Amino acid sequence: MLTGDKQKFYGLLFGIAFSTLLITQQLTIFVNLIERGASGVYNVPTADVWVMDEVSRTTDVNFPMPATALDKVRGVAGVEWAVPHLRANASVRTQEGDLEGVGIVGVDDATLIGLPKNMIEGDINVLAQPDSVIIDDVGVTNLFENGQSPIGERLELNDQRAVIRGIGDSIPSFTSQVVLYTKYSQALRYVPGTRNRMTFVLVGASDGVSPDELTKRISEQTGLRARTRDEFAQDGVDFIIENTGIPVNFGITVVLGFIVGVAIVGLTFSLFIRDNIKQFGALKAIGVTNRKIAGMVAVQAGMVGMIGYGLGVLGTVGFISAFSGVPQFKGFYIPWQVPLVSFAAMVLIIALTGWVALRGVMKTEPAAVFR
Amino acid sequence: MALLPENLSFSRKILPVIALIGLIFAAVFIWRGLPDRELAEPDKEPPRAQGELADSARVAGAGVVEPSSEIIDIGTALSGLVTDLRVQPGDYVEKGQPLFVVDDRAVRSRITEAGAAINEARAAIEEAQTARRTAQQQLQLYRQVEDAAAVSRAEVIRAEGDAAAANSRLKLAQARLSAAQASAGSARTELGRLTVRAPIAGEILAVNIRPGEFVSTMGGNSQPFIRMGQTRPLYIRVDIDEAEAPRIDLGKDAVVSPRGAADQQVKASFVRAEPLVVPKTSLTNSASERVDVRVLQVLYQLPAPAEGQNALFRVGQQIDAFIPAKQSGSSAQNGEGESPVKPASAPASNGAAQ
Repeated sequence: MLTGDKQKFYGLLFGIAFSTLLITQQLTIFVNLIERGASGVYNVPTADVWVMDEVSRTTDVNFPMPATALDKVRGVAGVEWAVPHLRANASVRTQEGDLEGVGIVGVDDATLIGLPKNMIEGDINVLAQPDSVIIDDVGVTNLFENGQSPIGERLELNDQRAVIRGIGDSIPSFTSQVVLYTKYSQALRYVPGTRNRMTFVLVGASDGVSPDELTKRISEQTGLRARTRDEFAQDGVDFIIENTGIPVNFGITVVLGFIVGVAIVGLTFSLFIRDNIKQFGALKAIGVTNRKIAGMVAVQAGMVGMIGYGLGVLGTVGFISAFSGVPQFKGFYIPWQVPLVSFAAMVLIIALTGWVALRGVMKTEPAAVFR
Repeated sequence: MALLPENLSFSRKILPVIALIGLIFAAVFIWRGLPDRELAEPDKEPPRAQGELADSARVAGAGVVEPSSEIIDIGTALSGLVTDLRVQPGDYVEKGQPLFVVDDRAVRSRITEAGAAINEARAAIEEAQTARRTAQQQLQLYRQVEDAAAVSRAEVIRAEGDAAAANSRLKLAQARLSAAQASAGSARTELGRLTVRAPIAGEILAVNIRPGEFVSTMGGNSQPFIRMGQTRPLYIRVDIDEAEAPRIDLGKDAVVSPRGAADQQVKASFVRAEPLVVPKTSLTNSASERVDVRVLQVLYQLPAPAEGQNALFRVGQQIDAFIPAKQSGSSAQNGEGESPVKPASAPASNGAAQ
């Protein structure tokens, strides 16, 4: 029945595919955007627990602690290891004389804990050389717009020399700020001095102690704020949700996608049913029950829905993969929950519109066939 | 079209297949695209408490390695040019062994001068003795004359005067001799002071002077001339945050590892806790340390390195230390840690431990 009229069929298909695409794609971008708030946490692959001053909220909204906080944390039972971690903002002068805000990440001198997992160019041991920094790949595109290689480039940070000797593979932050990784001792020189400098202590939990348990112990014994990796990532996400209009904007788009879907699909469905009202009458005349008719329509609608949904999801996948090379979209992925949400939305659209359209048919007399 | 079945419908058969393939493809893409958020183990070993300390109460601190005598900055008693340097860094010297010699030519010439003065004084003594002898003989002669008219009274008085003068000239010459001897002695002492000697047995850690350089007693040299200290054994000075200090179990061994070699841990035995709690000087690389944290400094003795092995610890090196915390009533201790003010119980337990 539904495939009988090609134009209406494709209209229906387009409606479902389009609203699926809209919902899936917008939700994907939304999730990825707010997860940028957690990228600072996820870029450190080794820390189970983050310890910070009581008032620190995210990796970027932080308040430094005295240096002895590190030893306090090391003294807590269940802490396998603890290393200092510094995050601060600084201004860098490039060779062209441009000013660029950068994030400085100081990692532990001896172990280099706190660097991203992978390197695009160079080796993490380049930090052993004097005045070395490792730039993140987004920073390369922001700072070196003409495509030259940043390796060996000299920057000026707080009147100190910094030489880029490697490129790290990291997920950019929410603001896509340039991030320079360097040793903790070096970072202290790059960041203008305040009394306390150390912003975080990264902690590895010893075997048999869960991070949740450990955060409780650290908070009790040291009075500092301790968060597990997942909690702290969530803090970053929550901070963006609370402080930006992103959830509202994306929510509106998703709702719009749903409404467009309902409108197109509902309209086309109703037209279909009305065109075929005689056939339904005939079916009723030969004794087919309402339940059977509803089943038939449901199967056909489900078929169309599945095709539309498949194309819509495929479109999203195509979109994400097409833009995966763009630096601003780096690290974007489709969370597996998103297609399920759009699937539910699609089922809801079809069920809703199908039910509305069929209400007329249910009431149709078999005699309608003769009118 | 012969390959395809005749009644193949695009919308009824091909499209669902495309959609299905698309869904499978999307599922694979989504599954493979999920971000890698697995936790990894660090590449290099970070400092960690091991063995018994791993799961029990403990206190951590950063510290530096120092000689058990602390570092001695050798000074000089007299200013001058360095003419001879007898040691180099790494030498192990005995107490009293010469370290360096300051230019002694002036002092040596003063010794020669003093020697000449001594000789001169001796000659003067001889001359005075001769004169005295002559005068006394003359006086004797006059006194033997019995006829008073034979010798005038004035002659006798003159002879008496000559004898007295010769006497005092001898005394003067003797005084000159002892003065010359004293100045020779002081010049010799000064010569000794120009050779700087090791105040204790120990290792030369740094030598910042070279022959020909000027050493001054007035300062002005930016670095100490020679730094030495007793490195058998080495001590470590661990800074403990004052808030953590009451928890330390003083007297227990500490587990210590040097920076950058956290997998090589040694046990260091307790020496003492410094009675003075001092503002923290940074051992954690800060550029300008102005931290309002005070630290208790605790000293531990490092074990001697095994024979034929490279020394793991060197003077001035930073270390990470783990020290056992008090076990007894550890839960109560934790409770105290939470409430900041417990004036009665905290100092009492502290005093008892010490």
